[in-house]
Amino acid sequence: MRRAFRALAGGFGVAAGVVTSAVAAAVLLVALGLPDQGRAGDTAARRVRAVPPPAELVVALSLGDPALQAGVVRDGHVILARGLEVEVARALARRLRIHQVRFVDVRPSSRLLAAGTRTWSVAIASVRPTRGAAAAADLSIPYLGTDQAIVPRRGLPRPHALADLRDRVVCAVRGSEGAKAIASTVRPSSRPLLAPATERLLALVQTGVCDAALVDATSVGRLLAGKGGRFGPIVARVEHGDGFVVAVTRDGPVALADVDRALRRLRADGTLHRLARAWLGIDPARLRPLR
Amino acid sequence: MSRVSPKVMAVRTVLTLALSGLALAAPASAAARVTVWFEQDGKPVAADRGGSTIEGAVRALLAGPSRAEQARGLRSAIPAGTPLRELTVQRRVVTVDLGARFAAGRSEDSLRARVGQLVRTLRSVPGVRAVRVLVEGGVPVGLFPGYDLRRLVSAAVEPVVRAPTARELRQTLVDLGFMASSGLSGADAAQVATAVLGFQKWAGLPRDGVLGPGTVSALELAARPQPARHAPGHRIEVQLGRQLALLIENDKVLRAVHISSGAFGKTPAGSFRVYRKERYSWSVPFKVWLPWASYFTGGVAFHEFGSVPTYAASHGCVRVNHYDAPLLYEFASQGTPVDVLYEGV
Repeated sequence: MRRAFRALAGGFGVAAGVVTSAVAAAVLLVALGLPDQGRAGDTAARRVRAVPPPAELVVALSLGDPALQAGVVRDGHVILARGLEVEVARALARRLRIHQVRFVDVRPSSRLLAAGTRTWSVAIASVRPTRGAAAAADLSIPYLGTDQAIVPRRGLPRPHALADLRDRVVCAVRGSEGAKAIASTVRPSSRPLLAPATERLLALVQTGVCDAALVDATSVGRLLAGKGGRFGPIVARVEHGDGFVVAVTRDGPVALADVDRALRRLRADGTLHRLARAWLGIDPARLRPLR
Repeated sequence: MSRVSPKVMAVRTVLTLALSGLALAAPASAAARVTVWFEQDGKPVAADRGGSTIEGAVRALLAGPSRAEQARGLRSAIPAGTPLRELTVQRRVVTVDLGARFAAGRSEDSLRARVGQLVRTLRSVPGVRAVRVLVEGGVPVGLFPGYDLRRLVSAAVEPVVRAPTARELRQTLVDLGFMASSGLSGADAAQVATAVLGFQKWAGLPRDGVLGPGTVSALELAARPQPARHAPGHRIEVQLGRQLALLIENDKVLRAVHISSGAFGKTPAGSFRVYRKERYSWSVPFKVWLPWASYFTGGVAFHEFGSVPTYAASHGCVRVNHYDAPLLYEFASQGTPVDVLYEGV
């Protein structure tokens, strides 16, 4: 009898425990909003979103380039911010569902990734993915290519491969990334012509002394603005460098994976292309890479 | 560290106050006119306004040109309705704090010009040494091309568009292939004039050998001459219409040479080859020495001649100017193809 009673009591205990667990699970599920319309496939994603995005994205800039980032610095904060990188930051925040963006100016830019307390979540300031930068912060995929655009002289047959440039007079500004790309990638058969300044370089191409010049793809659109017809069409680039990336503070409020995902979406939906066209006059990513 | 006595301190303070007072009072004591700066065809233009204070000058600038001035073509790059937030003067430095409209727009020329107008206007006030420009109480960085507004500005940046210098024009003539680099210094004016004539012939400009406005404009846009025919290798193309000889290597024009061919079509058109070369060639029919002679058909040769007019003037040969005759002679080796074309006629 006693045994029977204990067994019964124990059975009640187990049953009560199961009920309690079920209720608790149901409450948890309701709290997470998962049972809505029974979409069990979204479970994992919704659990990730349970961590709400920060209320504000603090973006570090290093002002100075009118096309990339410029603004007014007041008490360390940037107001009236504008430029390609500023717009990339705003678009990124929208993708990350962060409604407010605050810009801070870090000067000089070498301090951007220096050790010390950081007051920002991400830095969008022409950061290149160097070893030093990678040691200091998480680095995203590039949002802007830094390849070398090929500026051909008028009448030059359109190059389809690097080999088409090898027997040509290829030029760049002395000491520039373009000069390095000529030496390391193009490797022309004759010695390249190195100009002392960009203005002279463009004159050499215009007058036909140079068959083509290598110029930073991020600045070529602005350099040639208003000079239509003096050069051949800019349709190709020489791959050189990795591009500008977003530096993300480790253990900060924004995850690198989310930033990468957002940048991919911005590239796919044409946002980055539109911004590059608007601010640089040309989208380096749309130039055909020569190999 | 040196110590300063109270007396000296007192004198210093009085002097500082007096100097500051002078700086502020200077405009007031001047004639009751201020100068504001606008633009006309991209160039700075001054306009007088009534008033005697620095603030009055800035307000007049922000108000823009009058209707009569606008009718004369005066323009202001500063957006209409730009508010003046604050203006202070300290040690002859004027700090102007303007509203956000001052930085509106993206035209680099306009943004540069508006700071230029502001600086010119303030520097026109006697006693003003420099200007600090603020927008919405902050320091603009990178917004106004050509200006680093983190520092004091004491002079307006001249417009970027400027006329090319004589040296730059000569460099362009060399780059385009109309002149040897020996002419870069400009020491030999006749050499430059010869190159200019060559360029004018190519560009279809009046042939006067002078770097006038029309020629300079054309030079700024010019590309290297292109051969009329395309063929590989080393060759010479004589364009009778243009009165130019093009020295070509693998379809690239190395040099364009000012020549004068036979009058009334005496130089035959066709494809020939250089068959005889003489450093000095005696012309039997005309009884004259012809230096640097390269014969390409019958008795017709390229040769140097003292007079190379802008038109066809010879008895059939191709006269080459003094500066380019040795070069053409070196280039025209035995067997070099010579195409004489009516191109450009």
